[in-house]
Amino acid sequence: MNMAYRKNIRKLILLSLLALAAAVAYMTVEVNFSNEKLLGYAMKIRSPKLAVMLITSFAIGGASIVFQSVINNTIVTPCLLGMNSLYTLIHTAVVFTVGTGSALASNSNLSFAVDLLIMGAAATLIYSYLFKKTKHNVLYVLLIGTVLTSFFSSIQSTLIRVMDPNEYDTLLNTLVASFSNINSEIIILSVVLLAAIVFFLRKDLALLDVLTLGKEQAINLGVDYDRSIRRLLLGVTLCIAVATAMVGPISFLGLIIANLSRQLLKTYRHPQLILGSALFGMAVLVGGQLLVEHVFTYTVPVSVFITVGGGIYFLYLLLTNRRS
Amino acid sequence: MQIKELTKQYDGKTVVDSVSFEIPKGKVLSLIGPNGAGKSTVMGILSRLIARDSGLVDFKGRDITRWKSRDLSKKLAILTQTNHIQMKLTVRELVTFGRFPYSGNRITAKDEEIINRAIRYMELEPFEHQFIDELSGGQRQRAYIAMVIAQDTEYVLLDEPTNNLDIYHATNMMKIVRRLCDELGKTVILVLHEINYAAFYSDYICAFVNGRIAKFGTVKEVMTSEVLSSIYQVDFKIMEIQGKPLSIYY
Repeated sequence: MNMAYRKNIRKLILLSLLALAAAVAYMTVEVNFSNEKLLGYAMKIRSPKLAVMLITSFAIGGASIVFQSVINNTIVTPCLLGMNSLYTLIHTAVVFTVGTGSALASNSNLSFAVDLLIMGAAATLIYSYLFKKTKHNVLYVLLIGTVLTSFFSSIQSTLIRVMDPNEYDTLLNTLVASFSNINSEIIILSVVLLAAIVFFLRKDLALLDVLTLGKEQAINLGVDYDRSIRRLLLGVTLCIAVATAMVGPISFLGLIIANLSRQLLKTYRHPQLILGSALFGMAVLVGGQLLVEHVFTYTVPVSVFITVGGGIYFLYLLLTNRRS
Repeated sequence: MQIKELTKQYDGKTVVDSVSFEIPKGKVLSLIGPNGAGKSTVMGILSRLIARDSGLVDFKGRDITRWKSRDLSKKLAILTQTNHIQMKLTVRELVTFGRFPYSGNRITAKDEEIINRAIRYMELEPFEHQFIDELSGGQRQRAYIAMVIAQDTEYVLLDEPTNNLDIYHATNMMKIVRRLCDELGKTVILVLHEINYAAFYSDYICAFVNGRIAKFGTVKEVMTSEVLSSIYQVDFKIMEIQGKPLSIYY
């Protein structure tokens, strides 16, 4: 047991170095170090982006591992919670009703607040209240999420059908996950919110290892199963909501990084899994963004890589799961 | 542990109908009966997995629902058949979870000692570091029992422990149940389908029919052809082997 533990620590250190290397490369590639002004400008542009990517990796990576453990299935993604399509719907509805010129659409602080408020309220209502109503059956959560996703998407596609094409063009830009132009107020607020979520759930997070033994065993070992599951699920949804409100629809990333972490570490210990998942997230996001900026010069957004890579990886997971 | 007037309905159908009995301490008690007689539901209520409609389960002077789950888990261990783990978990890690009610995620030296003893007791040392999903059914069952032993409780509740096991492993399982009681002094309550296992390895039998107790008593009292025939609606003959009544049904 100790040997496996030490081996995993080594793997995690290597992974941290990889993430760190990606971050350093991101900050230094094609930077003119001799000119102080240019250097300062590059740092000013890149450092908030890097910060956003790090926060996103932690929020999505952690939330995905917790979500999978709560559902007790390693091929679910927090996409299923419907936050992506809710985000898309909110933005479409705003542009549709008040137009792209309004403060609600153009002021990023305001639109962040609106996203957060609506998604937070929806998360609390659905994953706390409805979960109780359905007698804590986690399968209903998946069902509710799937139904809501198509519900939100249908409304959204109805709206864009009757929308002014110019407005639609502008809207489309905000519907793609992006790490650019995110204010420091938003970054700080997101960090505070995520820290608060982790703080309120610290006791439930410590139960994660036991929860993965299944409901009966968890109860046998003295865990208030239903309550913990409900709180964790709410926390996961809120984390995803914060990350999505910050950068846009990106939670599919969670499927990739959570499974990479599980494959690499082969353990049930959640502190390790969550850390691994977050570090993978950093390496993938920062590395991907590096490619987007310097190889593809912004012609392809990073979410394309995530979706294509994630889709292929998902198929691979399904096929290998079937075999075993 | 005393059960008083326990009642449970599913969609208006009464599956447990004001059941009362007392669980004798330090003995093995088997709950038997035909399918749908309510024995598993009673077990579920005793192990706090199923909520009852009315009645009382008095455990050490306090109702079972009024216990803190954490405190209860130091006195009463449950083992069901739905043990489906997605995680990669070794035998030792599983057994270590038995200490969770006491130490949480921080295992002390004393815990390690108890874990070692439990693994040795179940003769699991050769597989200690193997993954649970790589073990045979019988070995896996023993790993779970080792976890229950590490949990160090006075009461052990087992829901159909011989299910899905062949004769060899099922018989071994029943011998383990006997040892839990005789050597470790635990009170064991189990749901069984195979009445001869109940007859041979338990001290008391509680037979259910249609949500009610048809007969509660020592093995000798319950294992008569009249009682069994009326419970199962088939003909029974009782023989005696090693001083214990065994039944033949046809």
